[in-house]
Amino acid sequence: MLQIRNLSLAYGKAEPVLEGVDLDLEPGRFVSLIGPSGCGKSTILRVVTGLQKPDTGRVSLKVDHKEIAFLFQDDALLPWRSVRDNVALGLRARGMSRQEARTESDKWLDSVGLTGFGDRWPRQLSGGQRKRVAIAQCLALRPKLLLMDEPFASLDAIVRHYLTEDLLHWVEREHLTVLMVTHDLEEAIALSDEVILLGSGPRAHIKGRFEVPLERPRMLLENRSDPRFVKLAKQLWSALSDEVAPLMSRRSNLKAVNQ
Amino acid sequence: MKSRLPGIYLRRTIALTVFLGLWELSARAGYIDPFYMPAPSAIGFLLWDQFASGNIWPHLHATFGAALLGLALGLLTGIIIGFMAALMPYLAELLEPVMAMLNAIPRVILAPLFIIWLGIDLSSKVALSFILVVVLTFFAVYNGIRDVDQRLVERVITLGGNRWMLLRDVYVPSVVSWVMGNLKVAVGFAFTGAVVGEFVASSRGLGYLLSYAQSTYNAALTMALITLIMVFVMFLFTIAGMLERYLLRWKYR
Repeated sequence: MLQIRNLSLAYGKAEPVLEGVDLDLEPGRFVSLIGPSGCGKSTILRVVTGLQKPDTGRVSLKVDHKEIAFLFQDDALLPWRSVRDNVALGLRARGMSRQEARTESDKWLDSVGLTGFGDRWPRQLSGGQRKRVAIAQCLALRPKLLLMDEPFASLDAIVRHYLTEDLLHWVEREHLTVLMVTHDLEEAIALSDEVILLGSGPRAHIKGRFEVPLERPRMLLENRSDPRFVKLAKQLWSALSDEVAPLMSRRSNLKAVNQ
Repeated sequence: MKSRLPGIYLRRTIALTVFLGLWELSARAGYIDPFYMPAPSAIGFLLWDQFASGNIWPHLHATFGAALLGLALGLLTGIIIGFMAALMPYLAELLEPVMAMLNAIPRVILAPLFIIWLGIDLSSKVALSFILVVVLTFFAVYNGIRDVDQRLVERVITLGGNRWMLLRDVYVPSVVSWVMGNLKVAVGFAFTGAVVGEFVASSRGLGYLLSYAQSTYNAALTMALITLIMVFVMFLFTIAGMLERYLLRWKYR
């Protein structure tokens, strides 16, 4: 569905953020991209959506751009449009009539648990509710490929748990192909079929690929105590620490110089 | 928004009444010279008289006409050239220094020039109102578009929106919010332009009356006219405020 070959990208004249990144995403797979913050994980998503042009390398998509949905890190809802019109936005962009798009939006608001919220302004909703609106906005497009950039980063633990559980349910029901960027290791394992570790930048590239040996449908809470989950989490932790450790020691050196 | 303490209007009314009462009493008792500082009641009667005799109407008509015309033209032009400059970098290159220069001068000093060019009739007053409003609006729109939240732009693009959709769903609403934030200032500017224009040279209008009152050392009439302008502009502020609360209801509800 998605194939990235030898992707490199620099912002301006600085050292490249990404160098030689290869990535494959087969239809129906849920793949997570984890790595230290600032390593360029989000940049990969921006390249896939076309928001950013790579310097070198190739991104080939086997789906139409119209079949891709992108869930932003922050909800990025239009503050001056009602919740319903926000959900309808992508449908309208695909040429659906206003009336039809609104009816469709209400359906999706129902399915994310926001029945009757259509007339509210985004400002009047909680962070978790706004995230649900953003999810409805994506699901309403009936995408084949869903891209997510740290989708739950700004939410508190309980909201996050329920939203993750719901998302898992939607993804499995709609047979979505997903590429998710996250720095949350356990979230990555709990949701994905494969976890890809991106090394620390600059010149970040892929450091490892880990298959998640858990069957679907998954149960979030039960899975966390599964020995296979725990084993993989440990493995990923040590791989991630290897990437972060040089950064940490660099920082402690700085401290030593300052003192 | 910050909620006000209860009873605020009562306390304000009491304070105003006490202030006006003391003023009135000291004028009547002869502590202040009515030639310089006429009693509030004298100012009130004078105003009443102006309306009762009908003398004031053509002047009100002239000032309002000039101010509202200048306001409308200034807003319209400011929005159009602000939009164009934000979308066409070459135009922005040329317009920005011109607007910055116009912004740097107290624009009412252009009044004599407009009177030389356009005469003492309506057009020179409209021109002065216009130039005050247009520069303000231009910067509001121009900066407003350049400061549009890029996340929202990217959100609409990734949802498949085209340029038209970006304009309708992102740029226009952001600009409306910027223009509305400046609307009250623009109303004030429009009246400043009209009245100052009339004050400098004209045969009608509140500014003309003010200049007449000044030349005859009529403090009562001067204060009456200032009060009148204040009341009308505050009335327009209220309308502007209502419009703002309606158009920006997503912010206030």
